Amino acid sequence: MNKIKLTLKKPPTVVLEAEVITPDHLVERSNEEIRASVVYHGKRQRRLDDFFDIEGERSDCVEIHGDLHRVRHVGRGMTRGDLTVRGDVGMHLGAHMSGGTIEVFGNAGDWVGGEMKQGRIHVHGDVGQQLGAAYRGSPIGMQGGTILIDGNAGIEVGMRMRRGTIVVGGTARDFAGLQMKGGTIILCGGAEIRTGAWMQRGTIVSLKEISLMPTFAYSGAYNPTFLNVYARHLGTLGIDLPCAEAEGSYKRFCGDRAVPGKGEILIWEPAVS
Amino acid sequence: MLRITGGTVYDPANGINGEVRDLNVEDGKFVSSVTSGRTIDATGLVIFPGGVDVHTHVAGGSINFARAMTPEDHRRTQAFIRSQTRRSGLGGMAPTTFATGYLYAGMGFTTVNEAAVPVLSARHTHEEMADIPILDKSCLVLMANNEIMLDLLEAGEYERAKHIVAWHIWAAKAYGVKAVNPGGVAAWKWGKDANHLSDPIEGYKNTTPGSIVTSLAKIVDELGIPHPIHLHCNNLGVPGNISTTLETMKHLEGHRAHLAHLQYHAYGGDDWHTMRSEAAQLAEYFNAHPNMTTDAGAVLFGDTVTITADGPWQHLLYKLTGRKWGNLDVENETGCGIVPYSYRPSNLVNAVQWATGLELLLLIDDPWRVFLSTDHPNGACFWRYPEIVQLLMCADFRKECMAGLAPEVMNRITLPEINREYTLYEIATIMSAGPARALGLGQKGNLGVGKDADIVIYHQDKDIARMFGHPRYVIKRGEIVIEEGDIRETPDGNEYLVKPSFDPGTDEFLRPLFEDRYCMSFENYPVEIERIERPEFQQCITSE
Amino acid sequence: MVLVDIRETKSVKAADIFLQVRPGKDFELITILRAMIKDQPISETQIAETGLTMEQLQDFVSRMKAARFGVMFFGMGLSMTRGKHMNSAALLTLAAEMNAFTKFVAMPMRGHGNVTGADVIMRSQTGYPFGISFNRGYPRYNPGEFSTVDVLVRGDTDCAFIIGADPGATMPQPAIDHLARIPTIVLDPHVTHTSRLSRVHITTAPAGISAPGTAYRMDEIPLPLHPALESPYPSDEEVVRRINETLMKKPDWMGERPQILQTQI
Repeated sequence: MNKIKLTLKKPPTVVLEAEVITPDHLVERSNEEIRASVVYHGKRQRRLDDFFDIEGERSDCVEIHGDLHRVRHVGRGMTRGDLTVRGDVGMHLGAHMSGGTIEVFGNAGDWVGGEMKQGRIHVHGDVGQQLGAAYRGSPIGMQGGTILIDGNAGIEVGMRMRRGTIVVGGTARDFAGLQMKGGTIILCGGAEIRTGAWMQRGTIVSLKEISLMPTFAYSGAYNPTFLNVYARHLGTLGIDLPCAEAEGSYKRFCGDRAVPGKGEILIWEPAVS
Repeated sequence: MLRITGGTVYDPANGINGEVRDLNVEDGKFVSSVTSGRTIDATGLVIFPGGVDVHTHVAGGSINFARAMTPEDHRRTQAFIRSQTRRSGLGGMAPTTFATGYLYAGMGFTTVNEAAVPVLSARHTHEEMADIPILDKSCLVLMANNEIMLDLLEAGEYERAKHIVAWHIWAAKAYGVKAVNPGGVAAWKWGKDANHLSDPIEGYKNTTPGSIVTSLAKIVDELGIPHPIHLHCNNLGVPGNISTTLETMKHLEGHRAHLAHLQYHAYGGDDWHTMRSEAAQLAEYFNAHPNMTTDAGAVLFGDTVTITADGPWQHLLYKLTGRKWGNLDVENETGCGIVPYSYRPSNLVNAVQWATGLELLLLIDDPWRVFLSTDHPNGACFWRYPEIVQLLMCADFRKECMAGLAPEVMNRITLPEINREYTLYEIATIMSAGPARALGLGQKGNLGVGKDADIVIYHQDKDIARMFGHPRYVIKRGEIVIEEGDIRETPDGNEYLVKPSFDPGTDEFLRPLFEDRYCMSFENYPVEIERIERPEFQQCITSE
Repeated sequence: MVLVDIRETKSVKAADIFLQVRPGKDFELITILRAMIKDQPISETQIAETGLTMEQLQDFVSRMKAARFGVMFFGMGLSMTRGKHMNSAALLTLAAEMNAFTKFVAMPMRGHGNVTGADVIMRSQTGYPFGISFNRGYPRYNPGEFSTVDVLVRGDTDCAFIIGADPGATMPQPAIDHLARIPTIVLDPHVTHTSRLSRVHITTAPAGISAPGTAYRMDEIPLPLHPALESPYPSDEEVVRRINETLMKKPDWMGERPQILQTQI
């Protein structure tokens, strides 16, 4: 299959802003045009081929190799195609994206999927802060799509998100689901403190015991039916969400009463066998 | 030197209505002829005097607070990129200082009046105004809630109050006096408001909003300030406030006055559900009383941020929208509230507001007395003025827009019955000549010999919004600043000041009161004249 | 006056009531108060983790509501401990919500120096208070990405220009290490910790003592500075202006760019 392959020649000395590395930009361009695409190395305009060896052209299937931890805005605003990063990648990966898929075999920086609308991001390693979050001052974070993180996530996971799904395989740090307005966050490895603080609506599921804000109230244990549907969907993505009554049940907490909000936090409690 | 030949000139100050005239410019002013220099062939183009905004909020603590509150808007707006000679900036709901100059000049405005400055932070307002390129500027000092002045009025010491007002104008290096919600802002410090013109305000026995209005109007007239009292009436934005506004107008009889953003003060009804436009009633009274001028404070649908010294109103708006809210109190002098807001055609109240602003502009007969404004950024951002011009000039376009409103709005407004269309001559009046005259700036909004050579040259265009949004040339004091949408030069503008006379003993009268109430030293309070980078003095009007 | 702190400070003497909150529980405490002012049910056990009692908080809430004009002052104990900006956000939100009952304001007690002044001017010229990047030729804002400490810790910069601050004394070690690694230029009346690890130190006249200017009070009121003494050194402003003039003589490095960008990155 026709594919574009970018290989980092050497890591940039300061931040490289490369919002041109999106399937949308690359799919319509010849190899020569791709090479001449403008990137910003610090304050200076450079050509993309100053930093990357570039093979292929006119494809929305893009593969990038190398340590891109200083390369930002990769996949920003993309609407289609597949983008694979073999190595670490810097901030704003897939921010504002509204379609297509991103897969990272490595770690990613802050604001992965910031204010994204649609599409899928899968990071096999860890991610930084503000995963799927709103940018400062914006009322709404992620509005749709799916983010899967196999490793750990930093603070403010899904801050102000309204729709969509975030799954964190490892542990999330403080303020997961901060000011959430909707959507679902699944924390397979639990979270540090202040999970769900100031949430208005939406669901946070934790498979490990977590400490809650004092402004959440316990409202019984159950096995919500919507989780069955969810579990089936997540199963196709390789994530195992327990939901059978034989295995255990979910403790349900509502809040945040400070808002006052109607969000729920479900904490998995395995059945005593 | 510059010659502009063959253009169709609209110069209401000299009664020139669409005549082909040549203009000659030397040393920044119009002259009768020039011998050399560049010639612009303006054949087939339309020439206006540079725009003048009588009421806007572009510099100072409150707009700067609004900037801090709206990073999400800065990100989605246009960015001006720096060059070796030009500073960068951001447009949007609360544009940055440099961008403010580029945006105003970009639609042909060359003079603006910042409508609300507390003395305490005036030093900062002047810093910001100095940063705004291209435009000439003036500002008005907030007086109607100054506690020292209110105490004097309470005690019946009118003469002393007059000296205090004059002293404050000079201390703030202002150009005139702004009165906001007289008595109401002072009351808001106690979480209260002043709703009735004849009720004593919180903390006082005799002083009422009505008595403040009359006294201040009289003081400004007697001091001979070129711009009359600039009044933001009580009960802004409240359904049924038409009665307050009419009563306020009665309190102003016998005095000159400029009523700011009248749209927000022209509502009938008892609450948000029954709110309707009373623009017709207001315009009828206004038309019969030539002592007053006004600006529309028109509303356009879309996002903006509302900022006003009217703290109580802003808290109400915050509760209605559930969005961000910022509030500033400025010691004894004033305060302000800031709330981001979206006007929507589907919202009954917003639709009535939209119609009311246009109705006022269309129902007030004399274009020399009603001016184009949106009370930037409250009703809409200033860079959307060309859209209002289009609404005023095209009745069909208005009808098209009205079709998008909820049907239940129609019996609350009179706009559908109004067929008036503004002429270019009238637009030049409400956008330039009129506000310049109301501000007492004889050298502005006027293409006559000896006046400042601020000129806008437009393409003739059936698309009115495009015509006024994208002038062919904008010339400021003889220098081409905008050419086909590109910024050419960014000269610094002047600041207009007045120095009304006051009793030299005023300092010594104020000092103990000041030291008793304020927490800065008296010497540091007035803005030093050295801090005004390019002052230009206007004379006070000598009485009799 | 109600004082909330994790330990008995000297301010306790001035306070009528002292509420000793458990360290790291500020955010929880303020969030509970937000719920309580709205009469949301909160239990004694939920309050317990803050180290305070239901009785104390109920009393506190009724006092706040009974006040005619309440002011909340807060400082770095709140904004620089775990939770950081969200702790400040919590207090600001509480103050805003208290206005449903009575007049309330909140005000940060800023750090030393003219922090507020820098904040105010950055806002008027760029729209943003701090954490701004100009690398694309116009201001962009993102605290965490462009804020000084984060830029230095990640080693994202290849030069540093320090004015009116001493990060060498206050920032985390990785940031200090990076300052030492790259060419760092310091403008300061004194030789600071940062000067010692810098490539260039330029001594300037101290503002307010021998250089004029404007300082902003924490309520954003500008105050003029009248110099009392002469200084042999130039002011910060003069040094920056002269550096700028020299930079302007260099060829333009900006490349082809439009005047106006309709969509930002």
